[in-house]
Amino acid sequence: MTLTLTLRAEPPARALAPGLLPERLRGLNASALAALELRCGGETVALGDLFDVSGAGTEEDALVLAGDLRRFDGIGAGMSAGEIEVRGDVGAWAGAEMSGGVLRILGDAGARLGAAYPGARVGMTGGEIVVTGDAGEETGAGMRRGLVAVGGRTGNGAGLRMLAGTVIALGGIGDEAGLGNKRGSLVSGRGTEPLPSYAYATRFHPPALALQLLRVRELGLSVDDVLLRGEWARWSGDRTELSRGEILIFDGEEEGT
Amino acid sequence: MSAYALGETRVDDTFAEAFPMRYARLVITAATAEWAHEAARSATGFATSVIGCKCEAAIERVLDPDETPDRRPGVAVLLFAMDREGVGKRIVERVGQCVMTCPTTACFDGLPGADRTAALGATLRYFGDGFQASKVIAGRRLWRIPVMEGEFLVADSVGVGQGVGGGNLVIGAGDDEAALTAAQAAAAAMRGEGIALPFPGGIVRSGSKVGALTSKSMPASTNHQMAPTLRAQVADTLVPDGVGAIFEIVIDGVSEEAVREAMRRGLHAAAPAGATHVTAANFGGKLGEFHFPLDELRDPP
Repeated sequence: MTLTLTLRAEPPARALAPGLLPERLRGLNASALAALELRCGGETVALGDLFDVSGAGTEEDALVLAGDLRRFDGIGAGMSAGEIEVRGDVGAWAGAEMSGGVLRILGDAGARLGAAYPGARVGMTGGEIVVTGDAGEETGAGMRRGLVAVGGRTGNGAGLRMLAGTVIALGGIGDEAGLGNKRGSLVSGRGTEPLPSYAYATRFHPPALALQLLRVRELGLSVDDVLLRGEWARWSGDRTELSRGEILIFDGEEEGT
Repeated sequence: MSAYALGETRVDDTFAEAFPMRYARLVITAATAEWAHEAARSATGFATSVIGCKCEAAIERVLDPDETPDRRPGVAVLLFAMDREGVGKRIVERVGQCVMTCPTTACFDGLPGADRTAALGATLRYFGDGFQASKVIAGRRLWRIPVMEGEFLVADSVGVGQGVGGGNLVIGAGDDEAALTAAQAAAAAMRGEGIALPFPGGIVRSGSKVGALTSKSMPASTNHQMAPTLRAQVADTLVPDGVGAIFEIVIDGVSEEAVREAMRRGLHAAAPAGATHVTAANFGGKLGEFHFPLDELRDPP
């Protein structure tokens, strides 16, 4: 049975959850899991005091977190393999500096989703993050490789100082996206005004994006067929960097389709 | 030579002799089935015999949009060469010249999970002259090469499998029309998953022998023993009585089993379609690792 942690009590302060990874919980039974300690404000709290534990850490490397986890930061941070499904909203730094595996959030995510920690140049280096709701500011900041896909909107500053990788916001990417972006791809399913350091190139059918959108659909986001069929505007930037990055903005269906 | 009867058809008690080869499967997609077909036809052109063309290639089958990675119409192509290096060189040449150049196409690996791989996009990307970009999608690296139409998307590398090359059926009938009808029926029945028929339409009319009577330098020359017009001229003719034309179907497959079953389908399609005589080509059995006795193909598929 998949290991499931269901939130029972709100933590007394913001809690840090970067240790809650399937790869770290493998082989632990319910009592060992309940005894795990989480940083919570200035103190530590036993996992069992906040969550009901069912199932056990299995070889399938899957973990389900259920409940309103907005006070939990760093869910899935540093993850390198396996799969986490969160049934609820999460706090900041979810999937920060992740290197592999799948983090699926059925809800909203806070700021710095899949991002680099303060002072670090490189954020996410691999893996896939899918958020069905909205995501906060600076989604994918410092990202080097991997995929972040958001069903709703991302907040301001998505893809800040991104090195490479892809951030998709089907509901539209927020303002000031891609500042300092070197080679990354930012994808906006709705119209948006890119920074002045981006230059319009063309409208086209991006073949790699089609493949990525199909992958995102496979991971559980609802992707409208018009996004697969239609044309996208390509903006190149950031011109203050290499100008090898891009913002792709959905530009509607072709006439006659 | 002893033989058995399959309806009206005499089937020689001999065997086809085949060799281990390496192969790749390319999945070519395009905006329309027609463009995918154009690219696949071009990429599998001049690839009939590994001796003369350095590889053997053919369309394996047409793919529905729901079978392809990008959900567009596609064609699966099999390309065989003697070793992995050969496969690697040929796919770079052919995808570079015949697929990348073709409007709307993309090219994917049709053999994921193979133990060995050959570089494809990893080499072709240099055509992008520094403007190429890569994406890792669902764990597989692809290259985006900017081209005048937009972007060509190509797999970084493709799997290379161990296959079998040189299976064959030799089909004869009273005249050229009857023999061709029977050979066409056989070729149509043989095509399918895991099978490449590298000759035009799957059929070869100029079967060869190793070496030549008149030259020491020629690697191959016409199979004079099987040429009906020479029947009265050469003492060692092998053209059976009543046979006026002969065609050969060469089969490359992804496994011994795939080749055997294709030969079985071909034999049982050629017989009712008018073949009076079916045999197979071999080199005495000492050169090829795989033997496919026609005697084992008596049961219909």
